[in-house]
Amino acid sequence: MKLQELRETLRDFWGEFRKVKYGMVGLVMFFLFLLVVIFEPVLIPFPETGQRWRDITYWEDNPKNAAPVWVNWFKRKDYTPQAVLDKPDFNERKAANTQVAEAVFTYDYKYDLPPIDLLLRATGKGLLNLAVHLERPDGLSIELTKKSFRLSGEAPVRLSLDKEAVGAVGDFLKTYEDPDVLRGVSLFTVKPVEVFFARAAPGILRNPAPLKGEYRIKLTCVAVGSGAFLKEPALTVAGRVFGLMGTDGSKRDIWSGVIVGTKWALLIGLLTSAVAVIIGVFYGVTSAYFGGAVDLVLMRIYEVFQSIPLLPVMIVVSAVFKPSIWMMILMMCAFFWVGSVRTVRSMGLQIKEETYVEAAHALGASQGRIIFKHMLPQVIPYAFASMALQVPVSIVYEASVSLLGLGDATIVTWGQILHDAMQGGAVLQGIWWWIIPPGLFIALMGMTFAFIGFAMDTILNPKLRTR
Amino acid sequence: MSEVILEVKDLKKWFPLKRSLGQWLRGQRTWMRAVDGVSFQIKKGEIFGLIGESGCGKTTTGKLIMKLIEPTGGQIFFRGEDVTHLSPEALKAYKREVQMIFQDPYASMNPRFRLHQVLAEPLTIHRIGANEQEKRALAAEALTKVKLTPASDFLDRFSHMLSGGQRQRAATARTLILSPSFIVADEPVSMVDLSTRAELLQMMKDIQEELGLTYLYITHDLSTARYFADRIAVMYLGRIVEMGTADELIDHPLHPYTKALIAAVPEPVPGRVNLIKEIPIKGEIPSAAQIPSGCRFHPRCPFAVDDCRHLTAAKLILAGPGHAVACWRYKELD
Repeated sequence: MKLQELRETLRDFWGEFRKVKYGMVGLVMFFLFLLVVIFEPVLIPFPETGQRWRDITYWEDNPKNAAPVWVNWFKRKDYTPQAVLDKPDFNERKAANTQVAEAVFTYDYKYDLPPIDLLLRATGKGLLNLAVHLERPDGLSIELTKKSFRLSGEAPVRLSLDKEAVGAVGDFLKTYEDPDVLRGVSLFTVKPVEVFFARAAPGILRNPAPLKGEYRIKLTCVAVGSGAFLKEPALTVAGRVFGLMGTDGSKRDIWSGVIVGTKWALLIGLLTSAVAVIIGVFYGVTSAYFGGAVDLVLMRIYEVFQSIPLLPVMIVVSAVFKPSIWMMILMMCAFFWVGSVRTVRSMGLQIKEETYVEAAHALGASQGRIIFKHMLPQVIPYAFASMALQVPVSIVYEASVSLLGLGDATIVTWGQILHDAMQGGAVLQGIWWWIIPPGLFIALMGMTFAFIGFAMDTILNPKLRTR
Repeated sequence: MSEVILEVKDLKKWFPLKRSLGQWLRGQRTWMRAVDGVSFQIKKGEIFGLIGESGCGKTTTGKLIMKLIEPTGGQIFFRGEDVTHLSPEALKAYKREVQMIFQDPYASMNPRFRLHQVLAEPLTIHRIGANEQEKRALAAEALTKVKLTPASDFLDRFSHMLSGGQRQRAATARTLILSPSFIVADEPVSMVDLSTRAELLQMMKDIQEELGLTYLYITHDLSTARYFADRIAVMYLGRIVEMGTADELIDHPLHPYTKALIAAVPEPVPGRVNLIKEIPIKGEIPSAAQIPSGCRFHPRCPFAVDDCRHLTAAKLILAGPGHAVACWRYKELD
């Protein structure tokens, strides 16, 4: 019986809600955000973003402050995007106590501005003698570097050619560049990878022309010792543009950060507003129902809470205690409940005087019964509307505190990304992709719930007036 | 018919009024004396009518008896027991015995409740009926009693889906479901269409006879009171001014106020459609916050003399068998 009534009420409400266009827009956006949270593992290229946001080793292969890939659409010259080549032609020969492995990576270079680095990664054990060769589309073959690793157990190997190929680039430049140009240049300022992706002709250092075509990077490894080996080699082409939203000053993928931040924003917004409004509704109804001295005391307490500005309190609390998201939610709940009290109280005062409440008294109904059965159900629609309107406020508050650097360091929130952007001088350097995505998501999330809340308000308010 | 089921002795309800700063400093208190010393007895199985203008305190008296508000003074006895002040448990038991029908059938039921929920509420409160089915059956039975049949058609309706008369029947069903012995009916038909009034009152009377109920019938309408009530008390400004059996009181009114009330009842006289009756008393009922000295009725009484203004108000005195009046001059005026 009860279930059927609920269904009918919901159907009526839905019928009205559908007519409010911006309400529907809000609802669609809300479902999109929900989808983002549900499909988070599929959406983010860095699965451990949530846990290792502040771990620099997790992000070290990425370029720093790289713009999003799609800026290439608007530039005359194409920037090399980030690419990971993890399926080389891999051959290995094993002999007694030695393993000879050869991995050939084929990279199709078709951009105007070269990558900033080539990074080789592998896992190995024992004494590893590595040699890296580059075969260019113009037929030139260059030995980039030779390096040995001695690994006692199984361990990762990382080779940045930007650093290792400094010697090779010197020889290469001497062959092709005008000696007059080279004379005033310190080899340490030369970016080897940039040189190797340029046409081999005078001007390679000053005015490099891109040499497009297929590059082959050959990694040869002789592993010496019993059980010595090299496996799973991969090559990362560190690009100048990166992913959907670029990277920040700590080489982190902003897209992953923003997506992971969605669930925290939803959690903060929904949990805070739900708890705050539930407290507020009970408080208001209690105050209205009991009236007299109880009302007087409760309203004075309410006024005290209402007149304390929350932001300074949150800053102090975050500074004194270890900043934690739960502490922040708790603080917001402790102050946001005041939002619905006044309206709920005045509604309660009105309902209290209704004849059917008097009739319930005449039947011997307890206070609890009158509050829960007769007063609260009338207030619930309003409660939902004010909950929706409270969500963006909570999200913005969390963002504000995080922006000040007092956010929870164990999670990623949009406010914290903005804080890092501010710290990293994103505004001065024009790194707009560091600021706009988190800012836009905060705005969109706020808009979503504001739309839903306003739509509920327009539906419910005329009814509230007649009641 | 002899056992007294409810007795009210010198019942008072004074509402405090807001004081000015000066009054507050001087420790003065002002009151609105809504009910100011009312006494009467109601016998078992009787219909007792309480009549008066709006603001005379009749509804307050009803609420005092219902224990919805606490009296300022006086006592209420129910079946010989003092029920003026009760513990919460005793109060709950009392409310099972004494029920109330409210004036406005549109407002007396929660608009969000279906009829079976409205009727189940008293059952839930008093822990009657083991489960929903049982409560539903009891609700259906109560609806049949008030002739809302077939009950199954009505159980799932909201109160706004009923007509005024049907609502008042449903409200009556809600009071009957606990099988009370005493019902306070506060103007139960005043907001119902004229055409359904008689029907509704007849239904109430049938139930009363069937279940041996006692009614306190509060109304401003003399004609329904005469039709419905066995005995009538006329209230004016917080006091009873005349009390007697219905026929006696209306055929031989003694108090000038009662006379005026009776004279004011419109009669549908054929051919004299434009007749507006000349009412012998003038003006409005005075505010209960400023009660006139002497006889409370003197400012409006056409027969008032100086004594009426200065002497303390007359007590109810027996003027005949089962007929009491509170007027210094009733003998002269008769």
